[in-house]
Amino acid sequence: MATVFMKWLETQPEKYDRGIQLLTLGKLHKLQDRLVRCLVQQGMRVLEIGCGTGALTVAMAAKGAEVVGIDLDAGMLAQAENRLAASGLDDGVVLEHMDAVLIVERFDPGSFDLIVSSLAFSELSRDAQAYVLSACRSLLAPGGRLAILDETSPPGWIARIAVAMVHIPLRFITWLLTRTTTHPLRNFQGMLERVGFRAGIIDSEWMGSLCLFLAEPKLDDGAQPLPISFKGRLRHRLSLRTLLVDLWAVFFRIIPPYPKVQPGLYAIGQPTPDSPVLLTGNFDLTVRRLVKAIDSKLHAWLLVVDSGGINVWCAAGGGFLTAERIIGALSTSRLDEVVNHRALILPQLCANGVDGWLIRKQTTWGVHWGPVRALDLPAYIQSGRKKTDDMRQVRFPLRDRLEMLAATMGFYALLILIPVMLIWPSSFWPLLAAMLGLSLFYTITLPWLPGQDGLAKSLPLTLIALVGMLLYSWYVQSTALADIFNRVVGLTGLSVFVGAELQGMSPRMRGEQANWGWEAIIAVLLGLAYWLIPRLMGWR
Amino acid sequence: MAESPSMLEMLTEHIDLARRLRKLQIHFYPERCKGVWQCYEVCPVGCWRPDYEKRVVTFESGERCIACGACVLQCPEKAIELKVPND
Repeated sequence: MATVFMKWLETQPEKYDRGIQLLTLGKLHKLQDRLVRCLVQQGMRVLEIGCGTGALTVAMAAKGAEVVGIDLDAGMLAQAENRLAASGLDDGVVLEHMDAVLIVERFDPGSFDLIVSSLAFSELSRDAQAYVLSACRSLLAPGGRLAILDETSPPGWIARIAVAMVHIPLRFITWLLTRTTTHPLRNFQGMLERVGFRAGIIDSEWMGSLCLFLAEPKLDDGAQPLPISFKGRLRHRLSLRTLLVDLWAVFFRIIPPYPKVQPGLYAIGQPTPDSPVLLTGNFDLTVRRLVKAIDSKLHAWLLVVDSGGINVWCAAGGGFLTAERIIGALSTSRLDEVVNHRALILPQLCANGVDGWLIRKQTTWGVHWGPVRALDLPAYIQSGRKKTDDMRQVRFPLRDRLEMLAATMGFYALLILIPVMLIWPSSFWPLLAAMLGLSLFYTITLPWLPGQDGLAKSLPLTLIALVGMLLYSWYVQSTALADIFNRVVGLTGLSVFVGAELQGMSPRMRGEQANWGWEAIIAVLLGLAYWLIPRLMGWR
Repeated sequence: MAESPSMLEMLTEHIDLARRLRKLQIHFYPERCKGVWQCYEVCPVGCWRPDYEKRVVTFESGERCIACGACVLQCPEKAIELKVPND
């Protein structure tokens, strides 16, 4: 469907109907017709979500149904009222200006025999779609049904490509003009099943890109329907996608957006109502490491809370992962309907920002601080949440240090070495060697370097680098004093930079990220020295 | 532009923050401790040692402390404070 045209039509209620019919070449009308003919009967109580200008509303009222139509757009509703008055059917119809997500608050449970919606769900976000669907389930009377007619992302890649060829240019233009876009429904049948409907597609047009779904609530067979925020099962797997995400994360780790996981409730393995509930932030790597550590060892529920795509330690320290967010996630996930216990396992490393007592006071959940490393989770849970001292302390072994070195230096190597290669090709290799050598030395000897934070630890590093360079320059190369001076300035700067940069690698050192002030001062002093001393000494 | 702090002000403020962060120390009031041991539960560097007989904790190592503030936040008795001495 021509999205630009649709968006324009929505701002022009009086032209909307003719436009839509023109746009769908009458197909929408055909599907609406079928809906009314097959599903609407005399005296039925019908809720229409997103009634728009009331074309479907009037058709249903004409068959003798009592229709309640809701829409968020007052202009469209005014058109619908005119149309109703003109058709003389306004007795059996109530129109309300309201948001679809508020229907549970507004209507009593079981008050409709049929809920219909035409081209409205594709305007909602995916979470809102799921929420409204589960609301519909509670509003339906016994034997009631749900009929949804909407734009869908068609099944099968050939159809998807064909539809995309038409859609993508139109979407792009629409976005340019209005900065908005619609969301054709994706796997809508799956969503209907998840919120507790038995659903099928009873008719479709345009290669499956315009579908009429019919759904009825599944009878309670004892099994609880999974809550609406349930996002599926997580499994440990490596793919090209994870590789690319990781590469992106390595090279652009300080540039948002960080790779994120959609917040919500996930299952790992085959959890039951007795299974433990774990919680973590929504940084992609955090979630994948956690899943890798416990997949095939444990069955568990995992509640992923929005931490802005940041790891739990930094997110808690920076106010992104808070007790309030966790309390919110506990209620919207309806976790209490899924499990029969109230033990929530939080990562120990979010305790610097998440107020455990606030969660205990405001919810019925008990807070347990899990181990520092996800790898220890199976042992921790299997021992009945007994945490050994080893599990509660941050270690920073060589393997982790080397990993962090690769992650940190990848970005700076790009940032520093690529311009150097282009502008001063002669200093490329010495600089690369110095950078690699210094950071490797620093990484390996870190636990034995004196000082408590990275900057202090970089001072001995600087001394060692300078002594080595001086000895080499004097005895092996017999370099001119001016060049040695340049090297002193360069190496000092590099050492301080490497040390200060690598200090934030682990929650073991104090003062992370509070050192850039000192770094700036050192940089200014070095710059001054570099400018002043050669002039004083008459080298330049 | 005049209202926003200058680069120099931001720099001095940040350096002051860094200096204070480096000097932060744990102040423990053992008389308030009821032996909940949340501090021991959450400390990532092992500064706290539980005494199971007396139902209190002891603060063991100020040297290892990284001033993350987890124990301060999780103590229900407000028995722990993190501050710069003589501040």
